[in-house]
Amino acid sequence: MSIATDARSAIAARAAVSGSRLTVDGIGKSFQGPGGSAVEAIGTVSLDVAPGEFLAIVGPSGCGKSTLLQVIAGLMLPSTGRVRLGERDVTGEPAHMVYLFQQYSKSLLPWMTVANNVMFAFRHRMKLSQAASLARCRDYLAMVGLADVAAHYPWQLSGGMQQRVAIARALAAEPQVLLMDEPFSSVDALTRLDLHSLILDLWTQKRFTAVLVTHDVDEAIFLADRVAVLTQRPATISEVIETRLPRPRHSIETRESPAFLALRHRLLDYLLTRGGGRSHARSA
Amino acid sequence: MRALRERGLLIVSGCAIPLTLLLALEVAARSGAVNPIFLPPPSAILATFWSIVASGGFAAPLAQTVLFLFVGYGIGCATAIVLGILMGSSRPIFNLLEPLIELLRPLPKPALLPALILFLGLGARMEITIVALGCFFPVLINTLQGVRAVDPTMINTARTFGHGRVAIWRRILLPASAPYILAGMRISLGLGLILVVTAEMISGNGGLGDAILAAQRTFLVKESYAWLVVLALLGLALTWFFSMVERRLAFWSAPPVQ
Repeated sequence: MSIATDARSAIAARAAVSGSRLTVDGIGKSFQGPGGSAVEAIGTVSLDVAPGEFLAIVGPSGCGKSTLLQVIAGLMLPSTGRVRLGERDVTGEPAHMVYLFQQYSKSLLPWMTVANNVMFAFRHRMKLSQAASLARCRDYLAMVGLADVAAHYPWQLSGGMQQRVAIARALAAEPQVLLMDEPFSSVDALTRLDLHSLILDLWTQKRFTAVLVTHDVDEAIFLADRVAVLTQRPATISEVIETRLPRPRHSIETRESPAFLALRHRLLDYLLTRGGGRSHARSA
Repeated sequence: MRALRERGLLIVSGCAIPLTLLLALEVAARSGAVNPIFLPPPSAILATFWSIVASGGFAAPLAQTVLFLFVGYGIGCATAIVLGILMGSSRPIFNLLEPLIELLRPLPKPALLPALILFLGLGARMEITIVALGCFFPVLINTLQGVRAVDPTMINTARTFGHGRVAIWRRILLPASAPYILAGMRISLGLGLILVVTAEMISGNGGLGDAILAAQRTFLVKESYAWLVVLALLGLALTWFFSMVERRLAFWSAPPVQ
């Protein structure tokens, strides 16, 4: 799956985006720690994501990235602040946001066939006949290049294929916002590059807003319009960088371009020396 | 061909000890080493067994035992699964019911028979109730464990696609804990058979337990043993049936090597 779409049609497609703005307004999250003391996972985070934008959030491991994403998804309530999608506050799981999990092997339900897993995303919300549901399911599986595995069980597929199924399932719910929690970190390096191109392709076609949480700086730069850098726990945003790399992006050339390398240098420098917040890390 | 031969060998070696034992009993009974009034030779028991089968006389007691067992088992398991899922997914419900369950669970269930007879009399209602009570606990404990072992990612997956609480119970918690539930149901099936036969012996109201005891009391020793054979075959059939159901319902929990 390479990026087949040429630059102009990609730009035209992006221009047609009409979704809701995702606003993260000063959220913080604390947990009850051992001994009853509060442990602060997220300091105060504010973000503003335009409809159709691709935002990546990078940070050192254990900094609370996943927690932040789960709060945005409505899977967890913030201790302070609020999340809004368009004009509406996110208090439960909103209909137009879907969370893509890192652990596809646990997120795909092993007692359901691939087809039933995909239908699990939309069947309960749409009044569709069995035939129409299956057709829709096949469309989405075809989009990730897996039209022929509908009758298989997830555990009969390779890791990369399973994550493709998970992506097809997430998109079958037709979300305005796709929240991705390190979805490419449990597959091998080549499969990862392949999935990067796939997700960009689908993003160009489907025009959803994408928020990706990752610890992989290259991945963040390659995919995103903007990269937000988180500090060590309790997480706050230390910097937001616009990538300004031309689209469509190419698996090899983009990663070798001077602009890409300069961004990579800047971000790694930030994360390894200052941005990780190690010098001014607060102890919990 | 080779697999067939290996399988044949397996059957022969599996049957070796039971057959030797039967032969030894036959010799012991015929030689007078054991009193044939207490233990008739297996060949005589087999003949009596065969006459019970051929006359169709086995059908009514067997059917009654199976019916009471399945009704009690069904009620016990269904209640346990529902309650186990509720307790496993709700802290307050767990806190409410856990002390009561821990109090009743260790009680040997036959000890409840006298009280049940007072309330329900000697008959179907008492027999079904004791089976249901006995089957309830292992399934409840296993369901509870199964629900607790469900990975939060599975539940969050259902939530992110907008599935409600009931859908999460039915479509995530129930199937995900099915391997645990089935393991509990396997234990309960054995317990249920013990309890239905015990209850039948006490109520004397038909069924295999009643048949075994009634024959022994009227000195129809061969008949008593023949009914025991029927009971043993029932146990074997239930185990076989359950393994089939288990393979079908929890096929995904041990993916076949391909």
